[in-house]
Amino acid sequence: MARDVNPGADRQSTGPDPIVDKSLSGPLLIAAFVMFLALGWALYAELYGGRPWKNHQRRFVSLYTSYLKKLRPRQLAAEKAAFASPELQKLEEQLTAAERSAGPRLSEIDRQLTSIRHRLAILKEPFQDARAKIAALTYELEHATSANGKRSIRHDIEEAKKGPFRVALPPEDGKALIVPASLTFGELERRFAECKSREAQLIAQQNEVTSESRELRRKRNDYLSERLVGLTQQQIDGLLRKMNEFRVEIKQIHIEEAGLVERCESCHLGIREPVTMTAADMGGNPLFVSHPVKDLMAIHDPNRFGCSPCHNGNGLAVSSVRKAHGNYEHWLWPLFAKENTEAGCLQCHFKDRVLEHAPVLTRGRDLYELKGCAGCHRYEGVDRDADGVADVRKEIQNLQTRQKESRLEMDREIKNGDQANSNEEAQKHFARAENLRVTVSNIDAMIGELEQKSKFLMQDLKKIGPNLKDVRLKLRRNWLPVWLRDPHAFRPGTKMPKFRLTDDEIRAISAFIWQSGLDGPLPVPQAKGDAAKGKELFETRGCLACHSIGEGDQRIGGEFAANLSRLGEKANYDYIVRWVHNPRERTRPYCPHEKRDLGPEDYSRHGLPFVADPDHSSCPNDGSELQIQNMTVMPSLRLSTEESRDIATYLMGLKHEYAAYPADVSYMEDASLAARGKQMVGRYGCASCHEIKTLEEAPRIGTELTREGSKPMEQLDFGLLEHKARKEGWYSHRGFVERKLNDPAVYDQGREKAPEDRLRMPNVQLTQADSRALTTFLLGSVDSPFRGEFRAIPAQFRYLPTDQQRDLQEGWWVIKKYNCMGCHTIQVGQKSVLSALPRYQDPDWKEQLPPSLLQEAARTNPGWLARFLSNPALSEEDVHRNGVRTYLAARMPTFNFSPNEVRILVRFFEAAAGQPNPYIALKLEPLDERERLMSRALFSSQAAPCLKCHLTGDERHDRYATAPNFLMAKERLKPSWTARWMLDPQAISPGTAMPSGLFHRDGDRWTFAGPTPNVFKGYNGDHVQLLLRYMFELTPEEQRRLTRAVPTAPTAATRQSETVSSGVRSR
Amino acid sequence: MTKKTVVAAQAAVVVLLAMTLGCGKTDETAKVTEEKTAAEGKEYQPTGDEGTITGKVAFQGQAPKFPAISMDADAFCASKHSGKVFPDAVVVNDNGTLKNVFVYVKSGLEGKSFAVSDQPAVLDQKGCIYEPHVLGMQAGQNLRVVTSDNTTHNIHPMPKVNREWNVSQPPGADPIVRTFTRPEASIPVKCNQHPWMKAYIHVMGHPFYSVSGQDGAFLLKGLPPGKYEIEAVHEQFGAETRQVTVPPKGSTTSDFAYRVGQAYRPSSLPMMPALVLHCCAEE
Repeated sequence: MARDVNPGADRQSTGPDPIVDKSLSGPLLIAAFVMFLALGWALYAELYGGRPWKNHQRRFVSLYTSYLKKLRPRQLAAEKAAFASPELQKLEEQLTAAERSAGPRLSEIDRQLTSIRHRLAILKEPFQDARAKIAALTYELEHATSANGKRSIRHDIEEAKKGPFRVALPPEDGKALIVPASLTFGELERRFAECKSREAQLIAQQNEVTSESRELRRKRNDYLSERLVGLTQQQIDGLLRKMNEFRVEIKQIHIEEAGLVERCESCHLGIREPVTMTAADMGGNPLFVSHPVKDLMAIHDPNRFGCSPCHNGNGLAVSSVRKAHGNYEHWLWPLFAKENTEAGCLQCHFKDRVLEHAPVLTRGRDLYELKGCAGCHRYEGVDRDADGVADVRKEIQNLQTRQKESRLEMDREIKNGDQANSNEEAQKHFARAENLRVTVSNIDAMIGELEQKSKFLMQDLKKIGPNLKDVRLKLRRNWLPVWLRDPHAFRPGTKMPKFRLTDDEIRAISAFIWQSGLDGPLPVPQAKGDAAKGKELFETRGCLACHSIGEGDQRIGGEFAANLSRLGEKANYDYIVRWVHNPRERTRPYCPHEKRDLGPEDYSRHGLPFVADPDHSSCPNDGSELQIQNMTVMPSLRLSTEESRDIATYLMGLKHEYAAYPADVSYMEDASLAARGKQMVGRYGCASCHEIKTLEEAPRIGTELTREGSKPMEQLDFGLLEHKARKEGWYSHRGFVERKLNDPAVYDQGREKAPEDRLRMPNVQLTQADSRALTTFLLGSVDSPFRGEFRAIPAQFRYLPTDQQRDLQEGWWVIKKYNCMGCHTIQVGQKSVLSALPRYQDPDWKEQLPPSLLQEAARTNPGWLARFLSNPALSEEDVHRNGVRTYLAARMPTFNFSPNEVRILVRFFEAAAGQPNPYIALKLEPLDERERLMSRALFSSQAAPCLKCHLTGDERHDRYATAPNFLMAKERLKPSWTARWMLDPQAISPGTAMPSGLFHRDGDRWTFAGPTPNVFKGYNGDHVQLLLRYMFELTPEEQRRLTRAVPTAPTAATRQSETVSSGVRSR
Repeated sequence: MTKKTVVAAQAAVVVLLAMTLGCGKTDETAKVTEEKTAAEGKEYQPTGDEGTITGKVAFQGQAPKFPAISMDADAFCASKHSGKVFPDAVVVNDNGTLKNVFVYVKSGLEGKSFAVSDQPAVLDQKGCIYEPHVLGMQAGQNLRVVTSDNTTHNIHPMPKVNREWNVSQPPGADPIVRTFTRPEASIPVKCNQHPWMKAYIHVMGHPFYSVSGQDGAFLLKGLPPGKYEIEAVHEQFGAETRQVTVPPKGSTTSDFAYRVGQAYRPSSLPMMPALVLHCCAEE
């Protein structure tokens, strides 16, 4: 202490004390200022910077509230208008009347109910108490061991039942005085039961009395909900209230089983609102729009699926848009760009070939097949037929092993039985042996089926490009090098991509291809046809559903197959005639076992004629299954030889007169070039799309793309462009894929590479939209959605279609494979290629469009449909026609579907129309004599229009017909569909030539809308059913009788002899 | 990346600005659009200054000939005609004018709206021929289809914009009354049971249209004074336009002429070819 007395003296000696002597206000001020700044910063971060969603939420509340307020009067007016309608007024009146008339009865019932319930309440307690007591005693009785004990308990029970139980029950009418009564348990129980049953009676009566008003109220509500589009004023008020009570906070979805935490809705607040809001509705702010596809949201409830499983992005981040959308280095799954959104669908729907809500993705899938990507790049599930062949082989092997084991086991059992000690035991062994024998035989049947299937799968195997074994028979020699140089210059939009070939490479490849071609047998020489007829046939038979014709703006037709505008410059006429007549006709069958094409010599060696067709499809040398068709999807249109010649003549006339081709291509015969050529062909993977001799089994040359979208970024080779990509912001899967598709050589830029090391992928020349679609498809092609701990999406999110959903998807593969949608409408809203052609805009030609298949399986009997698909002519002899719609110029082709594919297609249509499988036809009530007379009279009356359009088989009549023959109905149609069709065909096939309004509703039946013949007097049956039954009973004799009865005009000859030649002719 | 930040910053500024300006602005714009729709919805009231456009449609050259219609398929139809019946595709009047040319005001009426006639436009079926062959009507006006025939017809208009329908009309049935709600030129109408039966309905957004008749004349009346573009459409030859000025209370004449062999602009929609599918015997 003493030392402290004079501290100043000490300090004096060491200099001034900075704490005491110096003012610290300066640093303190600075510190305070810094703290103040920090506080400001913290507040700023809290309010603006670090919590941008807070402002978004406030903004949303104000925008949404004002939008709802704007909406309210409009909806209120609509509601008022609906209320003001006389129908609703009438319903309201009826409702009030019904309520009024039921009123007295209802209040009486109510009064009685109250009284009964009161009595019940009084009875309930003593009754339940007594019952419990007796039950307890009974339990004791059951568990008592001594006879004495039991006896005394029995006595107790009797005593307990005697009671007496004192209850003061009011009488039922409630008027008289309450009389207390003492009752035994039995009486108590009886009264209680009486009251209960009375109560039930009264409730039933109440229901009965109110049933009318309840029904009317339901009708009124239905009426309102049917007529009010959008929300009711009440619902809007509810939403407004919700906005009033809105709390600014993180909006989070937590899906525990998926381990998913999502905060997307902290900013995207309008997404789930029941009102449809566009950016314009929300003051131009796209952040607050409602989800653009409400249907999708309905299927994928965000509470179950979250947001990021579809859209990607970092659902946890809320600090900035960039982070939340995952657009930074450390997030592997950035938000899909708007144009690629549908990639998200594929992440779970990887088994679906066609997704209704994802047209861009579906287009991407289409392109992957259409452009032949699958030729070089394997993609799981795409090579269905090739994979199928392998699977079936494996399955057969497994079965054979099982069969062998069963046989051995059987032998063992027999042996054991023979040596058994007792007959009983022997019997057991023999029974087991018998079972195994049956098993072995079953396996035999299964193997047989699979072998068939494998044969069919061979038939279904197709190649994207033409068979190059036929080049010498089909092509002009000097055209080939020109084509190889730039296929798109010769034929813009062709599937053949442009390879980056040097002159030497072109020479070598041409030489190899040419020299590897077959020499013969040559196609049969053909006479010239009529080009004008050929043009008409080409434009009307349906060729344009797949092929296109015309160049530039003049181009019309489909994109599924080649544009034939310059065919005349490249092809050999005789070959084209053969091709048009039957494209599947193969020059030489190919034996996959011997790996070579068989010729007449192979057949003559075995004394066989050189015939290879479905009935002669095994190799004469070793019996293995041959490839007997050209592996093309092009079907046969069942054209006559003349028609084929006409079309070929027309097509051969299509050429550029000024086109120049190199005169000297003798190098193509130079054998020394062939070896290098073959090497090049192997390198560029030509055999992926084409059949090329000696390269039939060439392996794929590209990388597999099944998981391209989830490949780690560092595995994507940006070459020297990585730095640039990062700088420009396209260092992403999307940037990589898009640039690669547009210029496959892009990542070779600036690199020093030997020619053989350069990127080989050719340029497919995609339009911008197509490149986007394909990118979408590839971005969505991810490893199973399990993506490590940050994005573990549970397996149940993945969609594995089953039953009819699976049938649908299986069917889509076949439908897309053969381009059925070129001619038919198969999806609601889809337009066929033909229907868009200028010719079919004309009302008369519109009737010539192939039928819509929207409800095909509801319409047709599946057995008939399968027959029709295998043979659309429905005849073995009369093949140059359509089987059903003989009046159509367009022809349903013979696709040579294997039974596999026919089955898949029939199942597809059944699934699409929700039809049960197998189909069991209901028996129709046979017509009695009077009904037959009536139907006949109506069918042949002037008022009935049926026979004016429907085919009858009478040649003179059928020239005017535009609808199928009724004779087919029995085999072809389903009665329920036919009845619906007769009533309102426009609802089934909008725009059809068959008119609606043929029948009127008359009480509970339909009657013909026009005047009916006299025989109909007094008939109370349904006219639709009558005509339907007649139609399904129709025989050829009856039909002849009908046509004879129809009044006819003077003969055609006299009227038509005076026709004048005309300027305008359409057909 | 820097670009993005700039964009984000801009967006932030915009948001801030929008916030400071508040809801007042959105309300204002809403008011403006409301007023605008109100102005558009207002019907034109005649002022007494209205004028007319008249004219004739001349025809020069040899008219193309068409084969006679064969009505074999229906005895009733055949019985209604004693002589040969030719398609209505090109009808040249005795005075050298062209019948069935639809003339209408193509432009010049923008922003105006006109009362819809409460009288229905009538399409009759007489002897299995549509009467008239070319019919003009207003969007929203009733179309009344009647039949004078003792055979069943079906009426099948094939519009591109409006909704398509196809309804049967047996003998003695009530008239079919429908409307087309949207303006659309050249809606082909056909009867599927009598393929020669063809008609065109032109649905207009205003009442200024006319079809040239027996004398080849047309008349557009009650037009507010002003400059107009009028168009003539013929199903075979195509369309031609003229610029005309209608003086107050005055009348203007504007003639059209179709020459065979001259190429005309196709009308806005493809028309039916003159020949019906089944009219001729195979040569």
